[in-house]
Amino acid sequence: MTRVLSVVAVVAALVGLFLFGLLRGSPDRDISSNMLGKVVPSFELPLYERYQTSYGPSFNLADFDGQPRVVNFWASWCGPCYEEAPELEATYRAYQDDVLFIGVQTQDKGKLAEGRDFINQFDLTFPNVIDDNSAVSIDYGVFGVPETFFIHADGTLAYKHVGPVSTEVLETQIKALLQ
Amino acid sequence: MKQEARSKEQEKVMVFNLPSSFLNLPSRALLTLLLLTTLSYALTQDLDREVFNISRQLRCPVCVAESVADSGAEVSVEMRNIVQAQLEEGKSEAEILAYFQARYGDWILLEPPKRGFHLLVWILPLAAGLIGLVVLGFLFKRWTRASRQPIEVDDADLRRVREALEQSR
Repeated sequence: MTRVLSVVAVVAALVGLFLFGLLRGSPDRDISSNMLGKVVPSFELPLYERYQTSYGPSFNLADFDGQPRVVNFWASWCGPCYEEAPELEATYRAYQDDVLFIGVQTQDKGKLAEGRDFINQFDLTFPNVIDDNSAVSIDYGVFGVPETFFIHADGTLAYKHVGPVSTEVLETQIKALLQ
Repeated sequence: MKQEARSKEQEKVMVFNLPSSFLNLPSRALLTLLLLTTLSYALTQDLDREVFNISRQLRCPVCVAESVADSGAEVSVEMRNIVQAQLEEGKSEAEILAYFQARYGDWILLEPPKRGFHLLVWILPLAAGLIGLVVLGFLFKRWTRASRQPIEVDDADLRRVREALEQSR
C-alpha cells in the first residue's frame, strides 16, 4: 500500500510539473531588460527618405535628450510588427507633442525596399531609422522583434515590452513617463 | 689536399650564403612582403581563434540553444564583429563578456556564472549524485545483510526439494 502511494505521489508530482510548464504562459513575455533604471545608449542612424526633410539624413537620439522617448524595434519579415504598427501610429498621433517615437528597423539586413513598403503600408509618420547591421539592437539588448523601450526624459529605461505592443500598454507606459 | 679543402669551403659558401642577386631591392621587397603576409595571417588566425572562443560562450539571442559562434543569424554575425572589434581595441575576454552581460543579463552566457542563484545549477547535480551514492550504499548494505542470513527450512520442504532434484537428474 505504501509503495503504491509513493508511486502515485511521484506520478502526481511529475504531472503537476508538466501542467505548470504548459499553463504558465509564454516565458518570452517575461524577459526583462538588464538596463532598467540605467541610461540607454544613444545612437545615430540613417533615416528613411520621407523623414529627412524634418530631421536631416540621419537621426541622433542624443539631440532629443530631456524628452521622454518610445523606441520600437521592428523588421519587415516580422508578423507581429504588422500587428502593432497601426497602434503605434495612432498612439504617436495622440501623444506626439509630449513623447518622441522612433522606429528602428533591425535584424533585416539590406531590406530597404521592404522597410519602405512597411512604412508606407501603415503611413508611419514618426521617424524610422535603419539599423542595417543590428548593432543598435545589440546595444539595447534586443532579443527579437518587436520590442519597445519606454525611456524617461533623463534617458533612463523605464520599461521594456517584448512582443506586439497594444494601445493599452502604450498609453499606460506613456502616462507613467509623463508623470 | 689544399684544393680539396678550398672546394669544400666554396661548397659551404654556395649552400649557406645567399646569391648576391637575392639581395637586390625587388627581392628584398618580396621577402618583406612574404614575411608580413605570413605574420598577418598568423595574427588573423590567432584573433579568429579568440573571437571563436569568446563567441562560443555567448548565447545567440534569436536562436534556440545555439551559441553565437555556431549561429548564422544576423545578430550573431554582428556580435562576432563586436567581439573582434573589442579584441582589436585590446579588451580582455572578461571585459567583452561583461559588455554583453550588461545588455542581456546573465542569460547571454551559455555557462551560468558561479555565483548567487546560478550556484544551484552547479551544486544541485553534485548534491543529487552524492545523495544517490549514499542511498545506493545503504541499499547495498541491506541487500548483503539479508543475503548473509541463513534460510530457515523445515525438514519436509528440504526433503521435497531433494526429491525434485533427484527426479530431474
